[in-house]
Amino acid sequence: MTAGLLRPASAAGTGRAARWWLAGFTILGLALPPLLPERHLATFVLFALTATVTVGVSLLMGYAGQVSLGQAAFYAIGAYAAGLLAVHGVPSLLGLLLAPVIAAVAAVLLGAPLLRLRGHHLAFATLAVQLILLSLLAQADWAGGAIGLQGIPRLTILGYELREDLGYAYAASLVLALAVLIARNVIVSRAGRALRAAATSETAAAASGVPIGRYRLAVFALSAAMAGLAGGVYAYYLGYLSPGSFPVLLSIEFVVMAVVGGLGTITGPVAGAAVVIVLVQVLNTLATRPGMPGYAPAVLSYAVYAVVLILCVLYLPKGLVPALRRATRATAPDRRQS
Amino acid sequence: MSDLVGYLLTGLGIGAGFALVGSGLVVIHRVTGVVNFAQGSFAVLAALLTSTLLGAGLPHGVAEAGGVALGAVAGLIVGVIAIGRPGTSPGTSLIVTLGLGVLAYAIEVLIWGDQPRSFPGLTGVAEIGGARIPAHYLLIIAVAAPVFLFLAWFFARTDLGRALSACSSNRYAARVVGIDVRRMGLLAFLIGGALGGLAGVLTTPVQQVTFDSDVVLIVNGFAAAVLGGLTRPVIALAGGLLLGVAQTLTAGYGGGAYQVEVALVLMLTVMIVQAARTGGIPEPAR
Repeated sequence: MTAGLLRPASAAGTGRAARWWLAGFTILGLALPPLLPERHLATFVLFALTATVTVGVSLLMGYAGQVSLGQAAFYAIGAYAAGLLAVHGVPSLLGLLLAPVIAAVAAVLLGAPLLRLRGHHLAFATLAVQLILLSLLAQADWAGGAIGLQGIPRLTILGYELREDLGYAYAASLVLALAVLIARNVIVSRAGRALRAAATSETAAAASGVPIGRYRLAVFALSAAMAGLAGGVYAYYLGYLSPGSFPVLLSIEFVVMAVVGGLGTITGPVAGAAVVIVLVQVLNTLATRPGMPGYAPAVLSYAVYAVVLILCVLYLPKGLVPALRRATRATAPDRRQS
Repeated sequence: MSDLVGYLLTGLGIGAGFALVGSGLVVIHRVTGVVNFAQGSFAVLAALLTSTLLGAGLPHGVAEAGGVALGAVAGLIVGVIAIGRPGTSPGTSLIVTLGLGVLAYAIEVLIWGDQPRSFPGLTGVAEIGGARIPAHYLLIIAVAAPVFLFLAWFFARTDLGRALSACSSNRYAARVVGIDVRRMGLLAFLIGGALGGLAGVLTTPVQQVTFDSDVVLIVNGFAAAVLGGLTRPVIALAGGLLLGVAQTLTAGYGGGAYQVEVALVLMLTVMIVQAARTGGIPEPAR
């Protein structure tokens, strides 16, 4: 079922161009936050955290050929792990480091039985896992129940407490940079090549001695760890968590961003998250103008996710980044001729 | 004892709703190979329109028919977008239907707002075997049963139904004998939309509906359908009934908070056992 859409762009821009992109993103990540006004700073934190999760989703869908409709579950596990640890007096930095570990362990335990499934079966299984988690969290009094977990302390690094949004913008940038770096190294590694082979033909890859099952589980755990890490920062940033913060729609949003940017590319998920979040923010600003009805922001954001996803899947099946790359490559020889 | 009868009948009523959603999934999947994620939206759209039509003073029956018709039209539209472009793979179509499900949210909130809605169904309480249950549950069973009989007859005995089945068993051979596979696919989406709409119209009086109820409906419908490997409507019916009864029994005998988990864990177990038995889903030919 995964033909076409889920096949990764070959070699996925691991060359010099990608390195320039990475350098550009790093500079942007460092220089942008202090220039942004307070209101947009919150959007930046949201963007960096969402993009971190999306990097994992893109890796999972592009390289392991698995559609996860429950990635927000691991985001929630990381957030709740960090939040609960901090509430019970564990140093917040340790809590942040443990969040991805706990999310990855959960992914291994869940993935061992679930990753036998493929295609739409796996998509529904991951969705079911998230629904079960949300239902359990809403009933768990030790985690705050349906009301939510309150009074999570702020993140403290080496005795310095992060109080301002600016600090969290840098923390989120750092987390995103880490996720991108890990994704890049995985893609160019032996395991990455093996997974790319498996995405083209599983039988051929298995016959060549690729331990597909183990690699699949490893990518699943890695993507969960990325979601968990982002969730940890989210918990300290907001200081409040509830099951309602992690709806099924959030999982779908991650898929939208990954598909829009280009599956299996390094810069794709970052670009996809940026495009979608900026679009939603712009429309949100329009929708909250005086005179607009109260339901306008919700309607517009649903419509944006839906329309962007459908148009992208049907007309740009490889995503924005590969499409742009192809466009620039197509114009390059012309310039040389003239 | 009377408790048990009550739980069983309520469960069958709820389960018939899941089975209708599930059978819609099955009809679409067997003909087109697409798992339609927007299946729950048909039910929600139909239920919301019915509540508006009833509010406008239309009699019962007419309003419900309007809802089902909207479900069918929505099904056709989803079909045109999801499989209309030649060369769209079923995996791509799944993502497209996911997007259409979210688009339905935008339309529903725009027209009906985000508050839960319901409308009165069959009033009164029936007494069977010493158990008192709301009569509407019996109505759901009474409507769903002939629909399933009709489906079974339609697919096995009519030319059109046989043409649809032919597309599911061998697309290429179906085209060779002159069946328009694409048109059959759209017809399947139309029927699937009507079945989804019927599920929404029937269950809303006992379970109120909001724009995002489709997630619960689609997951339970998928759970019902997956028992029959997504290809057999009759087993989807059995699966849906089993699911409904399992949920009401858990809710009835303590653990009312855990009925969602029961259905989902049941579904996961079935899928994992199926995958283990068949050695995973076979790799599609490219």
